[in-house]
Amino acid sequence: MCGIAGIHAYLGPAAPVDRAELARMNDRMAARGPDGSGLWLSDDGRVGFAHRRLAIIDLSDAGAQPMHSACGRHTITFNGEIYNYRELRAELQAKGHSFRSGSDTEVMLQLYAEYGADMVGRLRGMFAFGLWDAAKRVLLLARDPLGIKPLYWADDGWTMRFASQAKALLAGGKLECQPDPAGIVGFHLFGSVPEPFTVWRGIQALPAGTTLIVDPSGPGAPRRYYDVATALGDRASKSVGAAAEPSRQLAEAVRDSVRHHLVADVPVAVFLSAGLDSGALLGTMAGLGARDVTAVTLGFGEFKGLPNDEVPLAAEMAERYGARHVVRTIDRTEFEHDLQAIFDAMDLPTIDGINTWFVAKAAREAGIKVALSGLGADECFGGYPSFADLPRSVHWIRPFSWFPGLGVLARHALSTDITKGLGLHPKMAGILEYGGSWAGAYMLRRSVYMPWELDELLEPTALREGLRRLAPLSGIARALQAGRTLGAFDKVATLETTLYMRNQLLRDADWAGMAHGVEIRVPYVDPFFLASLPPGDVLARLDAKQAVAEVPVPPLPAAIRSRPKTGFATPVGRWLSDAAGASAGHGVDFSAASRTWALRVWQHGWAAPAPG
Amino acid sequence: MTVRILALVTDAYGMRGGIARYNRDLFEALAGNGVEIFVLPRHGNAQGLTLPAGISQFPAVLDRLRFCLVSLRVAWRCRPVDVVFCGHVFMAPFARLVARLTGARYWLQAHGTEVWTDRSEMVRRAIEAADMVSTVSRATRRLLLDWVDLAPCRVRVLPNTVDDRFTPGPPSEAMRNRLQLGPGPVLLTVGRLSSAERYKGHEQVFAALPTLRRQFPDLVHVVAGDGDDRARLEQRAAELAGDRRAVRFLGYVPDDELPDLYRLADLFVMPSSDEGFGIVYLEAAACGLRVIGGAGGGSGDAIPDGRVGVVVDPDDRDALVAAVLHLVGQGRVDPAAIEPYRRPHFAAAAARLLARLLAQPRRMRGAA
Repeated sequence: MCGIAGIHAYLGPAAPVDRAELARMNDRMAARGPDGSGLWLSDDGRVGFAHRRLAIIDLSDAGAQPMHSACGRHTITFNGEIYNYRELRAELQAKGHSFRSGSDTEVMLQLYAEYGADMVGRLRGMFAFGLWDAAKRVLLLARDPLGIKPLYWADDGWTMRFASQAKALLAGGKLECQPDPAGIVGFHLFGSVPEPFTVWRGIQALPAGTTLIVDPSGPGAPRRYYDVATALGDRASKSVGAAAEPSRQLAEAVRDSVRHHLVADVPVAVFLSAGLDSGALLGTMAGLGARDVTAVTLGFGEFKGLPNDEVPLAAEMAERYGARHVVRTIDRTEFEHDLQAIFDAMDLPTIDGINTWFVAKAAREAGIKVALSGLGADECFGGYPSFADLPRSVHWIRPFSWFPGLGVLARHALSTDITKGLGLHPKMAGILEYGGSWAGAYMLRRSVYMPWELDELLEPTALREGLRRLAPLSGIARALQAGRTLGAFDKVATLETTLYMRNQLLRDADWAGMAHGVEIRVPYVDPFFLASLPPGDVLARLDAKQAVAEVPVPPLPAAIRSRPKTGFATPVGRWLSDAAGASAGHGVDFSAASRTWALRVWQHGWAAPAPG
Repeated sequence: MTVRILALVTDAYGMRGGIARYNRDLFEALAGNGVEIFVLPRHGNAQGLTLPAGISQFPAVLDRLRFCLVSLRVAWRCRPVDVVFCGHVFMAPFARLVARLTGARYWLQAHGTEVWTDRSEMVRRAIEAADMVSTVSRATRRLLLDWVDLAPCRVRVLPNTVDDRFTPGPPSEAMRNRLQLGPGPVLLTVGRLSSAERYKGHEQVFAALPTLRRQFPDLVHVVAGDGDDRARLEQRAAELAGDRRAVRFLGYVPDDELPDLYRLADLFVMPSSDEGFGIVYLEAAACGLRVIGGAGGGSGDAIPDGRVGVVVDPDDRDALVAAVLHLVGQGRVDPAAIEPYRRPHFAAAAARLLARLLAQPRRMRGAA
């Protein structure tokens, strides 16, 4: 788990790779890899890779990167973990490959030699990498199927640059940081920047589940090798008539995923809340015989003794499964103290990630390098209210869309004053206009602001251009395009996994975790795991969340299982609101807080960030 | 298998000028080896010229509507057409139409200034429909991507190539004597003196001469080129340079004399603020001359790094003076820095672009 960067001067007239630029890019990511750094330039100076290392598998120097194949033809700089590397290694050995180290990185090199770019389909794990094939003179960039590890690239027409962080690309000093209205509008709409956009015109995110090949004529189009809608559609079609015991199938899938996610040469901890998802991870780890497990829980002074204090229930679980329990209490002073560092680490503007920042900070203080997180469980088990609300919205509101213009009319009629008077969220004015389609209903649910509200926040030309390029509704609808028709559960799961989880949760987990040199592993975010779950309609009937509670032996305590979902149960909402300068009463509406916070985040100067 | 390209261009054979030359270079790089190119220009007469194998040029059609109709007729006569090449952004709307009607892939070439002048909605959409766009410079590419919604991977850069006549060599004493330039040093600017192209920066050089001549009293600024702005520029030279002998206007210099003129000079100076590419920088450097270009436009692409020269802010006189003083004693350009612009590399890059275009599926309506 690390930070990667690279430069490839693919066109003849391009200046050779500037080692100093590469070093600046790498230095910007120092926090991602405190255990070492490496820099490599090809003999002809046309390619350079950089790497910051957080050593987790094969801690020796044999695992250092950039790593070359024995023949010298292939060089890789890789960020991530491959959980099935031992199986792949054995398979390659059977084919006659020999290995010099115990690292998963070397397996990647040999896997490429065997399968070329199609190797990505064999990998179970999280990854982003750049691989140089000196014989073919091509650079392969790839990103894991669900988007756990980030990868950004910039191509000026002569030279290709890539890095784990957009800010690292800027830190190189050779790119212009012209703002991209599409990314800026995207942030204001969703609270995070939807890939492939960033807030800078020249920088693109490589979409999750794609590979990109740079040949001597430049980068080709990203090629998709994994798609959530297709995967869930395949799961549904394969499982017809199967799944006699869906709970058992689910339990097996969780156990298998956790087992894979424990592969490491350092101890693996867990981020523990009072929720079912992280509790199930801890219980499963214990059941699999993981030793000396540390569980890290965030506590808030404001909540002490109140029902939304997660610490007592987390402590009960830690005790039940024999884990060392680290409770770290955060208060407003610390939040305010860290704010500047948070903005500095935040790679793209986002309204979330603060909790992850603190839990990762606590983990590092406790000497932890790797921790499992329950991120992604709500997306695959239907834990969000959207799983009930979206189908209902589409069902009831669709008939209104048969009358063209009615939705827009209703929105204009429901002015801000009326929605406020009725105690409705301002977004609700768009219910008839948007609520009748899957994409529209999803946008209503997940948006911070709706498009018609943005003219008060953004300059009209930039807004118009940004909306045109971003095309938010078609972007959402595209996530649902698959070979087969999806059921309602799988539709919502696809939207949440492809959009909210990828652009918001996973990106935040990356910058906030890596800022502390802590690798966050997400067993619920794994294509192999998703494929081995029962199909969506079965999960919907099953009450999958309760089934998760039954996975560990002994199962999760009754108090956890009966605890109502508290959502964003921290005072961070109030701090954000205060930090954003909004007057907040006692009860903070997080949705309103996220609006003021979004504006505060945006005011932090993204259009021209300090390169440092 | 033969690949047939219908090239709709402003000009190619039978015309002078940067775009005509670029088109000829490109067509000659692609033609042969199973590639046939049918050129339909708006201007220029190729009658009596022997065109390279695989290239044929139809008579020019100036009128826009007729050009569109004729291009459809030519497309029908040359069918099946695999690629419609459009040599100018102005013509993108009907090149797109011809490509769609013939089922061909659509390759658009953008040179420079046209990208930042004509910004109509129709042209934007016509550019966005391209299967591939090639630009002469990174600056043009960036401007294009700022304006249109095209996946960045579809917009490639194919820089100008430099003619083989431009090579390093000893200065021609005969020319030096004929021009009576004195002991020098000699600063050289080559370019049209057009009132429409005042961005080339002649006046900025004139204004720097008094300072430069304090250090080098025999320094001469040689201005090659002619045009409707010449009288005005001569007047400005007299006003700014402080000494009539400091600037020499040569007028139009025939192509075959240019290499010797470059070899004669000590430094090529053209702090242009709006060059699409600036082929003259490359020609000068190919003759071994160090180069000072202007920031803005695509000049940076002909002056890729310090081995060739520097790019200065045209309005910063001190920077221009400092650059001249720094470069004038630096010796000749390393030929290796110019090698990537030589014809074999250009031809290989052009062939790769064609291969890339043919390898990708044709774009469907609305696909990114």
